[in-house]
Amino acid sequence: MTSVLDETAAPPGTAERPPPPSSRWWRIAVAVAIAVAFAWGYSGLGITVDQLRRAPGNIWTIMRLSWPPDFGTVIERGAIGKVFESVYIAWTGTVIAAVLSLPLAFLASNNVVPRWVRIPIRQLFIVVRAFPELILATIFLAVVGLGPWAGALALGIASAGTLGKWSSESIEEVPLGPVEAIDASGGRWLSGVRWGILPQVFPVIVAHWLFRFEINVRASAIFGLIGAGGIGGEISSQVQFRNWENVLAVLLMVIVMVLTIDGISGAVRRRILAGSTRSSSDANRELLGNLGGFLTRRRS
Amino acid sequence: MADAPSDAAEPSGAVRPRKPPLQLRTILIAAGLAAATVHAARQSGWEWGSFVSVWSNPLWERFWPIDWDFVLDRRNVLDPLVETFQIAIVATVIGCALALPVSFMMSQLTTPNRPTYIVVRSVMNVIRAIPDLLLAVILVAAVSIGAFGGAIALTVFSLAVLVKLFSETIDSADPRPLEAALATGGRHSAAVRAGVFPEVFPAYVAHSAYVFELNVRASVVIGLVGGGGIGRVIEAQRQFFRYDRILGILIVIFVIVAVIEQISDYIRRRVL
Repeated sequence: MTSVLDETAAPPGTAERPPPPSSRWWRIAVAVAIAVAFAWGYSGLGITVDQLRRAPGNIWTIMRLSWPPDFGTVIERGAIGKVFESVYIAWTGTVIAAVLSLPLAFLASNNVVPRWVRIPIRQLFIVVRAFPELILATIFLAVVGLGPWAGALALGIASAGTLGKWSSESIEEVPLGPVEAIDASGGRWLSGVRWGILPQVFPVIVAHWLFRFEINVRASAIFGLIGAGGIGGEISSQVQFRNWENVLAVLLMVIVMVLTIDGISGAVRRRILAGSTRSSSDANRELLGNLGGFLTRRRS
Repeated sequence: MADAPSDAAEPSGAVRPRKPPLQLRTILIAAGLAAATVHAARQSGWEWGSFVSVWSNPLWERFWPIDWDFVLDRRNVLDPLVETFQIAIVATVIGCALALPVSFMMSQLTTPNRPTYIVVRSVMNVIRAIPDLLLAVILVAAVSIGAFGGAIALTVFSLAVLVKLFSETIDSADPRPLEAALATGGRHSAAVRAGVFPEVFPAYVAHSAYVFELNVRASVVIGLVGGGGIGRVIEAQRQFFRYDRILGILIVIFVIVAVIEQISDYIRRRVL
C-alpha cells in the first residue's frame, strides 16, 4: 500500500478497457426510438397548450400563497404527533419485515438450501415486490380498518419482499469456508447457518433493514393520503381546503422528519458496515465495504 | 518457556479465541431497541388479534371470484394502464434529460464553481426528501387533476433520484482525463464533455433505466391521489368495495410490471 502503487493503480471501475463506442446508426436509432416513445406518451396524456402555458403561473401562485408557512395552526391540530405516528408506522413495519424476511432470506439462498426450496420462496419475493406499498395498504385498510395498523402491516409485507431479496443476495456472496469447517467437524445444517453464515452476513443484513427503514419513513408519510395513519392525512386535508400556508408547514415538517431519520440511520448504517475498529480485520472490512457498495446503488 | 505446556495442549498451534464478554452497552442498545419497538407498535395500533382476524375477515370473500368481464374490458383497465405508461415515459424522458446537466453541476469533480455546487446539492437533497406522492397531491391540486399533474410530479421525482445516483457516479469517475483536457486549455464545459462524459455515459443509461422502472411503479399509484392512470380506477373501485375487480386489476399490473422489470434489467446488464 505504498503511495507509488496507489498512483499507478487504476481507479475503481476503470480496470477493464471500455468497449468501443457504438456506431452512429445505432445511436440515431436509439434517439429516434426515445423520441417516438416520448411523442406517443405525450399525445396520450391529453395535455392542452392552455394547461401547459398556465402551469408555471399556477405553481408560482401556490408557492406565493403558501408563504409564510403557518406552523401554529398545524401544530395545534396535532401535526407533530402525526409525524411521530408516521415514524412509528415505519418502524413497526420494518420490524415485522425483518422478522419475516430473515428466515425466508436463508431459505432463498443457493448456498444454504437446495433448488426446490429456493425457487418458490424467490417467486414469493418477486410477487410481493411487484405490488406498491400503497396498493397493499388499500387492501389492508379493507381488512383491518382505517388507521395506522393497516399501514404498518402493509409496510411489513411489502418490505419483507425487498428485504428478503437483498438479504439473500448478501447471503449468497458469503465465503463458504466456515460452513465447510463446521460440516467437516460434524456440525448440523442449522449450526452451519447459525455459526458459519450468520455472523458473516448479519451486519450487512442489519444495514439493509436500516436502509429499508429509511424508505419506509417516506412511504408511511404517504399512507395518510388514503387513511392509513400518519402525517399524510394532514397534507391531504389541508390541500382539500386549499390552506396553502398549512400545507407548506406540514411539508416542511415531513422534510425535516425524512432528513433527520436519513441522517441518523445512515450514520448507524455506515458504522455497522465499517465495523468496530477494535475487532474487525482489514479484509473483513473490505468485504463488508464491497457488499455495502451495492446499497448505495439502490438509494432513491 | 512457561508457554510450552499450553502449546502442547493445542496441537494445531492456534489459540482458541476467548468468547467476548457481554458488554453493558450491547444490553442497553438491545433494551432500547426493544422498548422503541414496543412503543412504536403500540402507537400504530398493534393487536395480536388482528393476525387472526385478518384471515377470518368476511371481506376476503369480496376478492373472489374475480370480475374478469370488467378487468378484460379494454376501456376499464387497458386504456388507463396505457395512460399510466405514458405518464411514466414522459416523466422519465423529461426528468432524465434535465438530470444530465444538473448532475454534472452537482458533482465535485465537474461542478463549474463552488456556489453552484452547494445550491444545487441542497435543493436536490430537499426535493428528494419529499415523498413522491405528497408532491403529486400538491401538484395535482396546483395544476390540474389528471395525467398532467401526475406527470409533473413524477418528472420532479425522477430528476431528484437520477441526479443523486448519477452525480455519485461522476464523483467516482477518473479525474485524469479531465485534468488532461483542462491542461490543454479547454473550456470547462468542453473539458467535461471530452474528459468525463464518455466514461460515465453508460452509467447514465443504466440509471435512467432504473428510474424508468421506479416511475412505472410510482405511476401505478399516482392515480390514487388524482394523478391519472390505472390508480384512478383502483381508487374508484375501492370506494365501492369492488375488491374482486381490484384483485383482477392487480393481477394484470403484476404481469406487466414483471415484464417491464425483466426488460429493464436486461438493458441494464447489456449496457453496464
